[in-house]
Amino acid sequence: MKQKLRSSVQIILLFALTAVDLTGQSYPGKPKIIRCRSLEKETFSCWWKPGSDGGLPTNYTLFYSKDSEEKIYECPDYGMSGPNSCYFDKNHTNPWTTYNITVMATNEIGSNSSDPQYVDVTSIVQPDAPVNLSVETKTSASTMYLWAKWSPPPLADVTSNSHVYHYELRLKPEEKEEWEETVSVGVQTQYKVNRLQAGVKYVVQVRCMLDIGEWSEWSSERHIHIPNGESPPEKPTIIKCRSPEKETFTCWWKPGSDRGHPTNYTLLYSKEGEERVYECPDYKTAGPNSCYFNKKHTSFWTIYNITVKATNEIGSNVSDPLYVDVTYIVQTDPPINVTLELKKTVNRKPYLVLTWSPPPLADVRSGWLTLDYELRLKPEEAEEWETIFVGQQTHYKMFSLNPGKKYIVQIHCKPDHHGSWSEWSLEKYIQIPTDFRIKDMVVWIIVGVLSSLICLVMSWTMVLKGYRMIAFILPPVPGPKIKGIDTHLLETGKSEELLSALGCHGFPPTSDCEELLIEYLEVEDSEDQQLMPSHDNGHPSKNAKMIAKETDSDSGRGSCDSPSLLSEKCRESRAILSTLRTQDIRDVQENNGGRHWETQCIASEQKILLFNNESTKSSTWPAAQLPDNQPPMFAYHSTVDAHKITLCTINVNIAPVLAEKEEKHQPQYPITETVHDNMEKQREMENLYSKTDQTTVQVTQNRPNDKSPFLMPKLMDYVEVHKVRQDKEPAVLLKQKENSGKTEKYTVPGTSKEYTKVSTIVDHNILVLMPDSRIQHISVSQEPAMEMSQNLQQGQAEKNMSYCLTVPSECKRETSASEYMDPSSFIPAFK
Amino acid sequence: CHTSGMLTPNGKEYAQKIPREELTHLILKLLQAWKEPLSHFNQHIEHHQELPDDSLSKAKQISNMVHELKTGVEKVTEKARFSINSLNGMASSEAAGLSISNEANMMSDSDFIHCFRRDSNKVQSYLKILKCRIMPENSC
Repeated sequence: MKQKLRSSVQIILLFALTAVDLTGQSYPGKPKIIRCRSLEKETFSCWWKPGSDGGLPTNYTLFYSKDSEEKIYECPDYGMSGPNSCYFDKNHTNPWTTYNITVMATNEIGSNSSDPQYVDVTSIVQPDAPVNLSVETKTSASTMYLWAKWSPPPLADVTSNSHVYHYELRLKPEEKEEWEETVSVGVQTQYKVNRLQAGVKYVVQVRCMLDIGEWSEWSSERHIHIPNGESPPEKPTIIKCRSPEKETFTCWWKPGSDRGHPTNYTLLYSKEGEERVYECPDYKTAGPNSCYFNKKHTSFWTIYNITVKATNEIGSNVSDPLYVDVTYIVQTDPPINVTLELKKTVNRKPYLVLTWSPPPLADVRSGWLTLDYELRLKPEEAEEWETIFVGQQTHYKMFSLNPGKKYIVQIHCKPDHHGSWSEWSLEKYIQIPTDFRIKDMVVWIIVGVLSSLICLVMSWTMVLKGYRMIAFILPPVPGPKIKGIDTHLLETGKSEELLSALGCHGFPPTSDCEELLIEYLEVEDSEDQQLMPSHDNGHPSKNAKMIAKETDSDSGRGSCDSPSLLSEKCRESRAILSTLRTQDIRDVQENNGGRHWETQCIASEQKILLFNNESTKSSTWPAAQLPDNQPPMFAYHSTVDAHKITLCTINVNIAPVLAEKEEKHQPQYPITETVHDNMEKQREMENLYSKTDQTTVQVTQNRPNDKSPFLMPKLMDYVEVHKVRQDKEPAVLLKQKENSGKTEKYTVPGTSKEYTKVSTIVDHNILVLMPDSRIQHISVSQEPAMEMSQNLQQGQAEKNMSYCLTVPSECKRETSASEYMDPSSFIPAFK
Repeated sequence: CHTSGMLTPNGKEYAQKIPREELTHLILKLLQAWKEPLSHFNQHIEHHQELPDDSLSKAKQISNMVHELKTGVEKVTEKARFSINSLNGMASSEAAGLSISNEANMMSDSDFIHCFRRDSNKVQSYLKILKCRIMPENSC
């Protein structure tokens, strides 16, 4: 039966279940206990959360049991803590027991119970947050602080006041995320917060805790705004105190920030030894933020205690005190009336005199204030100052200044022993004049000019005569030089020059040449004292005349008397020849021959037998013929006037040239034919001697047939001295010579004593005979003087002897071929 | 300072007003007042090992100078033939100076130096004023 009952119940339950399912109604869901909490350790509450209600009204019941007891109690108070809660009051709360709490949900269909929850009262204690939090700002001692006040959490049982809560406060600026401060307040319900920033909005919260359990929740926030500028001014500072003249003084201070509020400053001071505090007598005289103490309020040798106080609406602030003894704070103004003056010493050097005056306020006159001075100066462009301590005087002399520079000068002063240096005076400029003496400059200018002149002269001489200078310094090695011959002249080959050299120089010949025998003279009788032209060409009478004019005495002078002369003549002849030559070219065609000769030779005052230029064709001139390349050794058979000899020489020189030139032409003016007539000669000789001054000697020259007119081997002819006349007119008579051919009669001289060459004629009277010498020999053997003396005739013989003695040697020497230049040698040049 | 009790002119005007004799007297009084304390001070610091030798020699030098200065001023006084009253004043000041100087021995070193500096400055200023009053031509 029971089985049937049971099964029927099960069937009914199933039906119920299914019935629920079918209709949507079922038994309630399982509730859940959310939390249990105790506020004060004496009561607690639990809250649950219901499950699904199954569609039907559900009833919830809470059952609990204590510790391990079996007895199940039901919640004493359901509504106290709100819906779905259970409140356990004091009587039902035991902190030392553990409660096992379940909640059952019941509806028409069925019920459901939650899981059991074990609750230990002590572990679930958590008070409520404090309440009535109030925050306000307060100021004390010129600072702003925050004052927070609150109340503990309220309790249901007002009686239980014994609870001691611990509180905690936190605050932060509103904008910030993190809490700036969390303060453990303690058991008090108020708190003061310092160090707040002005103008910031703060947020404040508190929470509390019992001795056991957890902290409560934070209370609601309180916001508080810290006011901006609502603070006293910042502390001012005193800068300095100064006395400008040791009778008054001034103090300056620097204010702090006034925090936006008008601030008032007051200076308070007290003196040493006194208690009384005074306020500054004068705020204005010295400017803003200053205090001026006039004479009455200034005491010396006492220490002042000075402070500055800043006051504003909120509060005030006082600076640090400054202790001042006026005697030590003196700083004057800079010196005035700084004057700079330039003076000159005895040596005309400039020096600077500085003078100045003490600053106007300083009482130096009574000695109350004594000042030391210091000056500094520098050249305008320099970097560093030079500082000089001057002492108590008000003037200074500066000597070591650079002329031409501009200097800057400054002065400052300080009371002796105590005090500070004043500011530097204003800059003063001074220009040192350049030491420019005119005397010095003039000296330098003169020196410069002179040296430049000298340099110029030196360079000019170097340029122009450098060679000579060098030659002076390093004389050149002399080369061989032939006397009387200018090689250059010869080389250049200018006939004019040569002829001029021949013709003009040394004409008339020098005296010592007279005694030298050079050539052979063939004397012809010429009473008319005219040269007889021998050739057919008509000699213009002019010629003769000319000749007559020109010849006064011995005309047939041997031309080869002195080698030097000869050389001169050679030169001259060269010149003449050269001139001739140049003109010959022209004249040859014209057959104008003899122009040139006379140009130079006419110049001779010795009546040179010359040919005028007019004589075109023929002009004869006494010419001594010179054998080609032979020394001019001619025997003079007749007296030859010394003067004429040169002529002959010249003519000789000329003649060959001319002759050579006119080779082609017939010699139109051959040299006068030799008259080989002894008689004639003799006569001539006699004539010569009779008319010493008018004898003309015609030197003739046998014209050779061959082309080399210069080979005149026949010239040599010797005249035998017949006798010597020693009466009034000493004369030498020459023997007649055989009328011999020219060539044949080459009697070698020296074979006979009787034949001697006439060396020279002296004084028209003396025939100086040469010692024997060969015609063709170049060298002349030196005859002893004895022979010479034999030949001498006159009383002057001795003299002549001596003369001749000397001369022949010379002559000999000079007639050496080496010294004598044969004009024939020039011929090639002229060709 | 032990000399604070002395009535000395505190400014230029006061110093110029009082007669020369009185000024001279004052100077002498001051110098006298420091004579003893200086010697005492010298003895005192000789035992101070930490002070450099320069300071010791300087201190001795200073006390000598003060002594010489006093002698000099006395000579000036004689030459200027100041009234006899001042001399009497001197005698009394001697006594006063002694009592004062006993006080001075109690001072600390820094105070001592401070006081001495001040008083020497006083003396210098008074002497300069005196100089320019007696002989105005020299840089006054």
